[in-house]
Amino acid sequence: MTTLDKLNNSKLPIIVIDKNLEQFRDKELFPKKMEKAKEILKKSGLPKFKK
Amino acid sequence: MNKPKYLYKSEDEFKVYSFYSEGIKGVIKKLVVFSHTGENNIYNLGFGDYDPKTEQIDDETITNNGDSLKVLATVASTVYAFTEKYPDALVFATGSNGIRTRLYRMGIANNLEDIKEDFEVYGLRVDNNIWEEFCIGIDYEAFIVKRKNINLQNDNAR
Repeated sequence: MTTLDKLNNSKLPIIVIDKNLEQFRDKELFPKKMEKAKEILKKSGLPKFKK
Repeated sequence: MNKPKYLYKSEDEFKVYSFYSEGIKGVIKKLVVFSHTGENNIYNLGFGDYDPKTEQIDDETITNNGDSLKVLATVASTVYAFTEKYPDALVFATGSNGIRTRLYRMGIANNLEDIKEDFEVYGLRVDNNIWEEFCIGIDYEAFIVKRKNINLQNDNAR
């Protein structure tokens, strides 16, 4: 079974590490969406979670 | 989530993921980023097309690469990966516009039974701005998922 087959047939994530992606970490890449998220959370709070 | 997905990569903190969509418009690099909102353990899920020429991410365009179900299944898989590393995180998601939000809703609705095995899933209703457990057929403005099962078994072993 190939890696892709394993990924497609399972919920278990299969992750390959790519150091190049570190450049995107801790950058605000989606500023509009983040602003929208903060507005919604401020206005509507959080759901009532089960636990 | 036993659906076709793309293989994806991440950095070692498991907050940034990339994969390549392959479809009728060619090969398009996608980025999925979980960004802390500044509120407790709430992370915003950002997702869009990465343009290596401009080094910008477009999260507003509908790519129409003919593989939206596969792309959504891949994004969902990154949520599993992220919450394996950060099990107490709440993942917030909303589209950058109404069309994108409906795309997210479709992705959740199409896989709801599977997702609910491992996550609590909530939607913020458009009509009354109240969070409720996600129901198919309701129009939502945003979504929050919370992991409930941490130790996943390999489905092939079941």
